[in-house]
Amino acid sequence: MRSLRAFLLRITGLFGGRRRERELAEEFESHLELHIEDNLRDGMSPVEARRQAVLKFGGLEAAKESCRDRRGLPFLETLTQDIRFALRILRKNPGFVAIAVLTLALGIGASTAVFSLVNAVLLKPLPYSNSGQIVFPWRQAPPGLNLGYNDLPWGRIEFLFLSQESQTLQALGAFKSDSFNLTGSGDPARLDGLRASAGFFPALGVSPVLGRTFTDDEDQPGHEHSVVLGYQLWRDRFGGDPAILGRSLELNGDAYTVLGVMPAGFVFPRAQEMPGSFTFAREVQLWIPLALSRGALIPAEPSELAIVGRLKPGITVAQGQAEMDVLGQRLQAQFPQAKGWFTSHLTPMARQLAGETRRPLLLILGAVGIVLLIACSNVASLLLTRSLGRKREFTLRAALGADKRRLIRQLLTESLLLASFGGLLGTLLSAAAIHFMKILGPSSIPRLGETALDFRVLGFAVGVSLFSGVCFGLAPAIAGTRENLIESLKEGGPRSGESQATTKLRDALLVSEVALAFVLVIAAGLLAQTFFHLLSVDPGFNPARVLTFELSLPASKYTNQDQIVALYQSALQKLRGLPGVESAGITETVPMGGATESTALRIPGHPATDPNDRPYSNYTMASPGYFVAVGTPMLRGRDFLESDTVDSVPVTIINSAMAKKYWPGEDPIGKQVGPLSRLYPAATIIGIVADTKRLSLREEPPPEMYVPYTQKVWPSLLTMDVVLRTKVDPVSAAASARDAIHSVDPDLPLANIATLETLVDGSMTQQRFAMFVLGAFGALALLLASIGMYGVISYSTMQRTPEIGIRMALGAQRRNVLAMVLGHGSRLAGLGIAIGLIAALAMGHTMASFLYGVQASDPLTLAGVSLLLLAVALLACYVPARRAMRTDPVIALRYE
Amino acid sequence: MARNRNDVWQGTLALMILKTLEALGPQHGYGIARRIEQTSGNRLAVNYGTIYPALIKLEQEGYIASEWGQSNNNRRAKYYKLTRAGTKQVQKEARDWEQTTAIVARFLSPESGSSS
Repeated sequence: MRSLRAFLLRITGLFGGRRRERELAEEFESHLELHIEDNLRDGMSPVEARRQAVLKFGGLEAAKESCRDRRGLPFLETLTQDIRFALRILRKNPGFVAIAVLTLALGIGASTAVFSLVNAVLLKPLPYSNSGQIVFPWRQAPPGLNLGYNDLPWGRIEFLFLSQESQTLQALGAFKSDSFNLTGSGDPARLDGLRASAGFFPALGVSPVLGRTFTDDEDQPGHEHSVVLGYQLWRDRFGGDPAILGRSLELNGDAYTVLGVMPAGFVFPRAQEMPGSFTFAREVQLWIPLALSRGALIPAEPSELAIVGRLKPGITVAQGQAEMDVLGQRLQAQFPQAKGWFTSHLTPMARQLAGETRRPLLLILGAVGIVLLIACSNVASLLLTRSLGRKREFTLRAALGADKRRLIRQLLTESLLLASFGGLLGTLLSAAAIHFMKILGPSSIPRLGETALDFRVLGFAVGVSLFSGVCFGLAPAIAGTRENLIESLKEGGPRSGESQATTKLRDALLVSEVALAFVLVIAAGLLAQTFFHLLSVDPGFNPARVLTFELSLPASKYTNQDQIVALYQSALQKLRGLPGVESAGITETVPMGGATESTALRIPGHPATDPNDRPYSNYTMASPGYFVAVGTPMLRGRDFLESDTVDSVPVTIINSAMAKKYWPGEDPIGKQVGPLSRLYPAATIIGIVADTKRLSLREEPPPEMYVPYTQKVWPSLLTMDVVLRTKVDPVSAAASARDAIHSVDPDLPLANIATLETLVDGSMTQQRFAMFVLGAFGALALLLASIGMYGVISYSTMQRTPEIGIRMALGAQRRNVLAMVLGHGSRLAGLGIAIGLIAALAMGHTMASFLYGVQASDPLTLAGVSLLLLAVALLACYVPARRAMRTDPVIALRYE
Repeated sequence: MARNRNDVWQGTLALMILKTLEALGPQHGYGIARRIEQTSGNRLAVNYGTIYPALIKLEQEGYIASEWGQSNNNRRAKYYKLTRAGTKQVQKEARDWEQTTAIVARFLSPESGSSS
């Protein structure tokens, strides 16, 4: 209590200083008078009496100083004093301040912007209760199977088994994508829906804002005609009417009862958050019960389910994974006839939702950290140079009794002040960067829209500013004040006054800058090469002038295969008749439009091999003319024909990867192949087409077989993609294509209208974003490093002016001087490059997964970047070197 | 080390000031300093100036209060006096000090080990 009271009094003591000061002086004066009187009474002479009194009192000013310290808060007072002094000093050097603040602002601004992105995508708590407990079990692709993604869907039996047997998960829900045509209330619309089991909502821990979600009762085959609406659909389509509960909607021609409405923002799952093997919609608009049958396994049942679970309290992800591994082995024993893939991987929700963005983001974060470090070491070496220029000031202050810690504190105050200016400007820069990132960033970055300068990001900016202030301020402050007082005060001491240690420190800073910049430029160079490799890669189709859209036929209206086939046939006929259309075809999923089905294979004539290595392939439907329309070259054999029907011989076209894998050294044409299930007949191979990339340009195309949509196939023909190769701009063909479709069925909506080029482009956005950001950071690093190089070399050249003068007076040629300065610079740069080279090679395996068509240790890139850095370094040295070359020996010597 | 000795000095000085004020009643800084020196039998030869920071500290802690007054020979001086909290504090500090010195004395006395 007492000390608190004292503290508060001391704070008030910071104010009203002048009156207290006067009072203190008066008190001391009266003290002396009293003492003098006593002394006089003791018989001293007036002069002696005063002298003795003053002597006995001790240092008058020192006593006042310690009273002042005691009265106010000396720390705060010194701080304001330091800040005032620092501001005065900085104001005298506007050029230095501008360079330092700008450098720091770039570093801090870039880091803050990147951190805001990382914060939005990876750090912000998810809008689900206890989201740390939510996990996604995925089936893993067997080793050796390169589909371009590892997380695969589960089958019904596996889900039922898991929900029955799992001890670590307390809620478990399965879900799969589906789309619904809403009719009967306003314009027909195609809605993106999700079929989910009753455990789906409890596993996620979300509750509706209105009504309720499904119970187990509604999640039964035959009872699934109920629907939970998304907030946006409810608001936009039904005016946010609370009376919607219990109303009946016509979806795909059937009546569904509205059970509830989910809260705003709940659109789970978004396509970008789910593995590439699934085709979820961008945002879900409604949820329908999945209503899985509990019956026995049907042969070759499709595996198409995603699963979400909630771990019981206290169970870790590792424990859940261990249980999944055990259950996988039991499944294997129990259902030997099911597809033999039971290895699984539990992905925590936060990581799942960050999706593919996580690693590129961390890469960018690392890159921006390097930029910040370079900026800091630049400013550090600037400060170092300045602190040498101020050596007389420090020496004088030290001689007058300032202790060393006090001097360091003063210097740190200056650098922290610089850092705060840099941080302030940097935060403004990052606000602008965030603005542009939101506009230009790839939409595939989840939660990009939530990027903002919130408290956490601002806290980060403050932290980074302080960190960098200490980082670049401390070393020069210590080095600058370490000098021997006496030596420096001595008149005629070494003029340059630079100690060996400071020179070394400055050189070390420069070398590390070059090394850091080198690593960053290498990374940017490798990513750029990857990008251009991807652009030039042959995707197996020709995206130019191709329009695609999706048709989704309502199951209530199109009840059998013949009706469906008839619709597509007449639609294709109409489309081909359009003046702007060159060719048209349909397929299940266009390349870059999402994943297709895949199946285990039966190859008559090839005996079943190891059950762990069953043949498999993608399994896609296509129409006659599809390959021509999409531009996939037919390598051998023939295309599908209208005459390939249910009544004719089943046929198939395979891609060349499949031909090479299962018929090496044989001619596959005329051979038989089919899905493992005997429900589907084996088909005769009639042609071989080129491999097409399906999900990304970097994938290694897996085996793929195409079957004509006109022959009996699974799963369903109801949703197909139409491909139109046009003679004109494909976008302009969209309107006439819509009319053509509506002339066949006026109620059929066209969805996902896009050009194939946009789809290909879309698959590259992350790659492009990472490349641009890293490229920009690489350029920034290069610029900062060359500024640093210029500063250091010109300073050290200036220091050596007398030496150069002597050399020239003794007959050194100008080119000798030039070579000497350039040699100094290139030695430092060379050392930096060598260290950077080692670091880049060490980081190789981190980079490898980001690369395509280029090795992390690509000698050409390494050599090229080394030369680039060396050239930049020499350029930065050239200006000071030329200045040195022109040194007039007379002037230089007089300088000494 | 120098700092530590100073701390001890500041601590004991506070007690001496309080005790002096208790004995003399209201007194100015010079008077207090003089009295401390006399009481110590002139063995404490410190600068009088060092007493003032201690006075400020005690005043901030509320143990003493100050006001300007007239000295015996009509000189203006700042007088310090014990507050009620200060009176209590003298008792407590004196007790604490006695205890401390008694303990330290045991360590310093040569027969401490055998006699007790």
